[in-house]
Amino acid sequence: MRVIVGYGNVLRGEDAFGVDVIKKLQKFYLKNTKLISAFQLTPEIVLELLEADEIIFIDACSNEKNHYTLACSLSEQSRFNFSHHISPKTIIAMLESLYDKHPNFFIYSMMTKSFDNIKNEKIYKMRIEQIVHHISSAQ
Amino acid sequence: MKKITIDPVTRIEGHAKITIDLDADGKVADAKIHVTQYRGFEKFCEGRMYTEMPAITARTCGICPVSHVIASTKALDEILALTPPQAGINIRKIINLAQLLQSHTLNFFHLSSPDFIYGFDAPKEDRNIFKMMQTHPQMARDGINLRAFGQKIIEELGGKRIHPTGVVPGGAAHKIELSQKEVILAQIPDMLKIAQGALEFFKTNLHKFQKEIDSFAAFPSLFMALTNEDKTLEHYDGTLCFMDSEGNIIKDAIVPRDYKEFIGEAVENDSYLKSPYYKPLGYPQGMYRVGALARLNIALSCGTPLADKELENFKALGGGKPVLNSFYYHYARLIEIIYAIEKIEMLLNDDETMSETVKITSKVSKTRGVGCSEAPRGTLFHEYNVTKEGVITGVNLIIATGNNNLAMNAGVKQVAQAFVDSKNITDGALNRVEAVIRCFDPCLSCSTHALGIVSSKIEIVDHNKKIVKVIDRN
Repeated sequence: MRVIVGYGNVLRGEDAFGVDVIKKLQKFYLKNTKLISAFQLTPEIVLELLEADEIIFIDACSNEKNHYTLACSLSEQSRFNFSHHISPKTIIAMLESLYDKHPNFFIYSMMTKSFDNIKNEKIYKMRIEQIVHHISSAQ
Repeated sequence: MKKITIDPVTRIEGHAKITIDLDADGKVADAKIHVTQYRGFEKFCEGRMYTEMPAITARTCGICPVSHVIASTKALDEILALTPPQAGINIRKIINLAQLLQSHTLNFFHLSSPDFIYGFDAPKEDRNIFKMMQTHPQMARDGINLRAFGQKIIEELGGKRIHPTGVVPGGAAHKIELSQKEVILAQIPDMLKIAQGALEFFKTNLHKFQKEIDSFAAFPSLFMALTNEDKTLEHYDGTLCFMDSEGNIIKDAIVPRDYKEFIGEAVENDSYLKSPYYKPLGYPQGMYRVGALARLNIALSCGTPLADKELENFKALGGGKPVLNSFYYHYARLIEIIYAIEKIEMLLNDDETMSETVKITSKVSKTRGVGCSEAPRGTLFHEYNVTKEGVITGVNLIIATGNNNLAMNAGVKQVAQAFVDSKNITDGALNRVEAVIRCFDPCLSCSTHALGIVSSKIEIVDHNKKIVKVIDRN
């Protein structure tokens, strides 16, 4: 099974990129795919990923210089900064260490310098469509 | 004189910096925690309609939004002059306990247990959740399962895991379906087993931490908590009680709406976190502690069988007086996890809970309302003033973590004096300075109103107030 996890705060503009992609994907019939929309990644989300052969994380990523660039990145501020929200890298480490699960995984990030509002709605929507097209056509 | 700064403080929720002032001999003269983020909820809520307050104030926090929703709706119950039906109250209580359970679980299994497993002097590369997953995978899985249990209850009954919408003025938005009740009840035995196992692990390892028990904010102070008339443990109803360090009740049965008569709020210029104190004793002598330690010190019983058995053992630590060592916050939280699971079962089996009527409605009847509840970290107050049309004109929030501010500062100083040697500043010593804060399980984002990104720094300042060393804990 493929699991797609979009996460972000829908009250914070471009931070909601992952959630907005999931909303679009819900309109497609994606075979053997589970869609998860989350405010943030929390430890117990691993229980919903145990059946996954492939996991796609979709998020907005802070980047001052490359606003609206789409990228695949595993970078994070600090792997030890563990509080109530955690990174995709930690989720994958949990699946491997605790449940002996080794899914393929991808991260699709939209670079943004504006988490709190949508700076350019046209480009923002275009980036959502690009990710949606990429995922849906990969069926 | 030197100053040591721990910035950012790690494995806590929110931003904080610690400064340690050294005297001319290099000994610790003072130490302080500075909360370096500002939220501003009290101001930007002004002008909003009262109906928006539960949804807005839930955004104060991603980990304890339920507490804010509960306190907010209770304040609005007062403004609307409503007494919710018992089913609505029971649903609120279940959601509140589910949050207490998942929050305490996060603190023990994911934030604090690396210290208990590897010790405070272990290399920092080993003192984290990743190492724990390798060496104690079952414990890590237990933590995930227990948290999932609490979060699922919040989602089922509250509509969403984070920022639930199911708690509304006048009661709850939806009744509990029989199928939901059965799914939750079916998990109770497994969850109790996990919780009891965690407590057993903690008790078995306690003997390794005598130095920390003796120096982690171990001092006399007042304690405050909500409690029932018969002094049973309470997280939703009841009145406020202050107890001194000898176990004397110095003020009891304070109705939450009268909190301002007894609680003052001091402001220091080096932190955005307010410093509440017990007014009759003045500032800062009126320092008090809240949260699990305070609740269990004040409670005579939990009212559930397994938790009551553990409460007896806990009370024995104080020898008939309150337990003053903040290291035992961890102990108290583990007992509260057991209590929460048992109490959720009792509430679900209460016939009233399954009633069809879960809420009532009304119009604005009063222009002031105070809502109070026990959040995982302690007593939480929401006070709203409204116009007769329901427009918010004033908001005051006293967040659970803020109540512990004076005690956390005193604790940081005590630990720094016990462990920090200016000639040889070890990572273990700095970890202990952070760990004493972790005992209180502070939610700093919540308490000052910023993003939940963890940070931590230690600054060392000499007697001329010159920063001589900065240690970045990342």
